[in-house]
Amino acid sequence: MFMARVVGSVVATQKLASMTGHKLLVVEPYRVDEKTRDRLVPTGRSFVVVDVLGAGLGELVLVCQGSSARLAPETEKLPIDAVVIGLIDAVDVEGAEVFSRRDASR
Amino acid sequence: MRVAEVIGRVTLARSLPSLKGARFVIALPLPRAAIEGESITRGEEVVAYDDLGASPRGWIGLSEGREAANPFGSAKTPIDAYCACLIDQITR
Amino acid sequence: MQLGRVIGTAVATVKHPTFRGERLLVVQLEQIDGRDDGEPVLAFDRLGAGRGDRVLLTNDGQALQDMLGKTTPGRWSVMGLPD
Repeated sequence: MFMARVVGSVVATQKLASMTGHKLLVVEPYRVDEKTRDRLVPTGRSFVVVDVLGAGLGELVLVCQGSSARLAPETEKLPIDAVVIGLIDAVDVEGAEVFSRRDASR
Repeated sequence: MRVAEVIGRVTLARSLPSLKGARFVIALPLPRAAIEGESITRGEEVVAYDDLGASPRGWIGLSEGREAANPFGSAKTPIDAYCACLIDQITR
Repeated sequence: MQLGRVIGTAVATVKHPTFRGERLLVVQLEQIDGRDDGEPVLAFDRLGAGRGDRVLLTNDGQALQDMLGKTTPGRWSVMGLPD
């Protein structure tokens, strides 16, 4: 899984019938700063993911990708390769908090 | 599986029902030089499901891809990275 | 399948139940010229390979599931020791 921030959503009128009613988000993966390990930094990459948890713009989410993404009742029939499996509350690295949802929403 | 070092953890505010109460660790896959004792920078981290109780700085067997979800059997669970063992030692 | 060299043996007390009683090798996969190919992998071995040995690994999850059971989170296993 990887951590990512929600940066937008995709609205497509023309789509596969099976995708009707499913929310698609654009997310940017974040990673732990390689050198300082005291913060999360954006990677510049971009993925489109299915979300059934109601993640909001700017929120940090946990994403499962690959064929495993279909291993949920909500996604098993969808032609997808990435799904939000959780909304991140906090991230700790080497004992220090590098992300907290409470602080991020201020 | 790759050998990875645990550097942190992720806690969720909300999750899919099948993952309620699950623990997640941040793991860095180790290159050969790191396994052989050199201190060098590690690769890109992976967030992995952990029910073995991996602790920070510990080394684990990191299972990735579809087989990371095998342990859940027919209880379909969307997991693409799984802490499969806690490594005590690598004898060389 | 890929060729690699055994660089060590991993010992793990706390592990997935399907790993019980199995030998787990740390194997460095090799490129065509013998250089390292990516990070070392953990591979199950029932053929008795040891440090320094060249091994033939398969990445077939099904092969390992036949050996260890359907719920195993492993993937790589030793399928041969090249002469």
